[in-house]
Amino acid sequence: MIPLSSPPPGMSRRSVLRLLALSGGTALVAPALAGCAPASTTPIRSGAVDLSFWTHDDGYIAFFRKAVPLAEKNSSFRYRLHITKAGASDIVTKLIAQAVAGTGTPDVVGLEIGNFARMLRGDIAPELLSDLTKAVAPVADDLITARLTPFSKDGKLYALDSDTPLTVLYYRSDEYDRLGLPTDFGTWEEFGRVGADLATREGVALGAVATSDPGGTVQNFQIHLLQRGGDLFDADGKDTLQTPEAEDALAFLATSVQSGALATVADMYGPSIQSGLKSGKILGVNMPSWYASYGIKPNVPEQKGKWRITPLPRFAQGGGRTAVGGGTGFAALRNKPATAAGMHLITTAYLDPAQQVARYKAMGYLPTRRSVFDSAELAALEDEYFGGQRLFETYREIVDDVPDVHQSANSSIMNTVLAGHILRAYKGQVSAAQALADATADFRGQAKR
Amino acid sequence: MSTHTETTLVPGLRARRARSGRIRGGAAPYIFIAPFYVLYGLFMIVPVVAAIVLSLTEWVGLGAPDFIGIQNYVDLAHDTSFGGALANSAVYTAIAVLIVVPVSLLVAQALNARNLRLRDMFRVAYFVPMVLSPIVIALIYSLIFDRDYGLLNSSLQALFGLPHIDWLGDPTIAKGAIGFVLMWRTVGYLTIFFLAALQNVPGELYEAAALDGAGPVRSFFTVTLPSIRPVTAFVIVTSFISAAQLFDEPYLLTKGGPGEATLSVAMFIYRAAFERQQFGYAAAAGVVLFAIVFIISQGLNRLLGIGRES
Repeated sequence: MIPLSSPPPGMSRRSVLRLLALSGGTALVAPALAGCAPASTTPIRSGAVDLSFWTHDDGYIAFFRKAVPLAEKNSSFRYRLHITKAGASDIVTKLIAQAVAGTGTPDVVGLEIGNFARMLRGDIAPELLSDLTKAVAPVADDLITARLTPFSKDGKLYALDSDTPLTVLYYRSDEYDRLGLPTDFGTWEEFGRVGADLATREGVALGAVATSDPGGTVQNFQIHLLQRGGDLFDADGKDTLQTPEAEDALAFLATSVQSGALATVADMYGPSIQSGLKSGKILGVNMPSWYASYGIKPNVPEQKGKWRITPLPRFAQGGGRTAVGGGTGFAALRNKPATAAGMHLITTAYLDPAQQVARYKAMGYLPTRRSVFDSAELAALEDEYFGGQRLFETYREIVDDVPDVHQSANSSIMNTVLAGHILRAYKGQVSAAQALADATADFRGQAKR
Repeated sequence: MSTHTETTLVPGLRARRARSGRIRGGAAPYIFIAPFYVLYGLFMIVPVVAAIVLSLTEWVGLGAPDFIGIQNYVDLAHDTSFGGALANSAVYTAIAVLIVVPVSLLVAQALNARNLRLRDMFRVAYFVPMVLSPIVIALIYSLIFDRDYGLLNSSLQALFGLPHIDWLGDPTIAKGAIGFVLMWRTVGYLTIFFLAALQNVPGELYEAAALDGAGPVRSFFTVTLPSIRPVTAFVIVTSFISAAQLFDEPYLLTKGGPGEATLSVAMFIYRAAFERQQFGYAAAAGVVLFAIVFIISQGLNRLLGIGRES
């Protein structure tokens, strides 16, 4: 009797083992080799499209899935989205790594604004991303330029922003009523004066700034700087810290921190600010519109109905009533079979007025087209968390004050360098002007490379 | 009488046997250990060589790197940020070697005490921080160390009326806070090594020392320390290497701040590569870190006599 496992006549046991090892090895290596095979580069003009889509936010996944029917209606593409979710900084890292590998890049990618600055180094953005300038040309006049400049390089637009994140003053209306505080302070200087008095008298702060997270520290300063009429960089990417606008903004913040009008927290999202908000020791914050969904509501859900928003006080020296902070742009990778399909999905999902309304309702992101701010549907929306307030009345009131914001490949250097000097000013170790001069010197020292 | 037998082989057969003998007798051991060396070469030597080559270039991560010679090293020598990171890492290694290791030894000594109740519970309690995710640790300590709303400041104020201390916002105190978290996380792990070594010290030595009139302190220095010297040396060198590459604690607790006051060299490398797209510069910093760690750890090896007969 021959056992079932015996090799056939003429084959030794060793031969069988070799054969098994060879076939096993082939099975393991085959997929890897297949991955190395050059992918088709023939552009897809119509029909089924398998679109690789990378983002860091679940909200975008749901939004783009809902936008697919509209994109299909306006084209002959039939989309199948293949979603990959990763951290905001990991997305850029993996995108570049896959580009170096020559395979596995997405067709559409969401780039958080701070991490997009990495794409500005060298020729990364022009090498990898499609120029969307022509695609948005039909509505270019209606697009808010503040949301185009951060994602542009050399006059070319590489990503479409999801939001016009206007900064507003979030405040505790119940505490304001109890303490007899006005909802319109007029100027930041008056805000600081009232806040200092309140800190001494009641031990509470009218606002808060981040001090442990360098990015958050700079963002708190930048939103005040933008509102005052300045910026960290000009349109050419050169640093613009030593300006009267920057000095005014930092001097106000430093004075307010030292007086207690503004509390200091580790960052604007974690346990530190949560403790301040929950305990009622922080009565408000100056943050962008998305902070309602990412900062206020998740940290203090039990304070539903007690919060309101109002336009920011002005700087007495000049500037507008709002600024912008944050954002995420969606880009289509260039020279890929699905490039045209990716561009079509992005522009359809992001530029269609109805989609901009839907995006606000689903995710709280403000429109990027100016005309949509006049939407009756948006104006009528009431937010229960904010006591039924019609938030769009405030947004529409300030949207025309929105300033342009510029990025640089050296934005990351600016964040780490500037944060330390801002803290020195907060602590009163140096004047605002000196802190900005030192920051400029340090920044130029590190950015010269 | 002796018998002598001579076998004559044809030349071709002799050569084949000789080859076969070389393979079976000489090459076989090398073939058996070859997988290790192949993997070691692929995943250790090649990356190290690649990093050295990359350190001589300017590369944003895409396209062809530009060869710039030793310019990255020249820039590093003048980079105050890198100098600060080196100084911070020196502080972390000093904390690891001069504070964490002795504390671990003392904890192990305490756990090794006779008649200690709940010994296993203590052992687990000390070891738990090592298996906790650094993210969880960062979250816990950001709650404890927060200046305005932290548990530590609230407790100090309630108990002693002390003013609030900016544990993570003051450049000097923040380094100490990170050092404390480093100690909290690694003491339990190092204690395991020391405990194993202490349990292998022959009891007769202590009895002999006691007969000679040695007290607990004298016994510790004359019996315990010499007996556990090999393990101590190993713990010191590995603690030094780990602390020199410290990343998690400063990254998660302070992001290197305030300013760059807690920036470690590992964070500097990460920042250059993955936040600033300066891969050549990051590689140069990595090579410098490697050289420093290699030289000092070799010095420690010689100083502590690791791998030598006592």
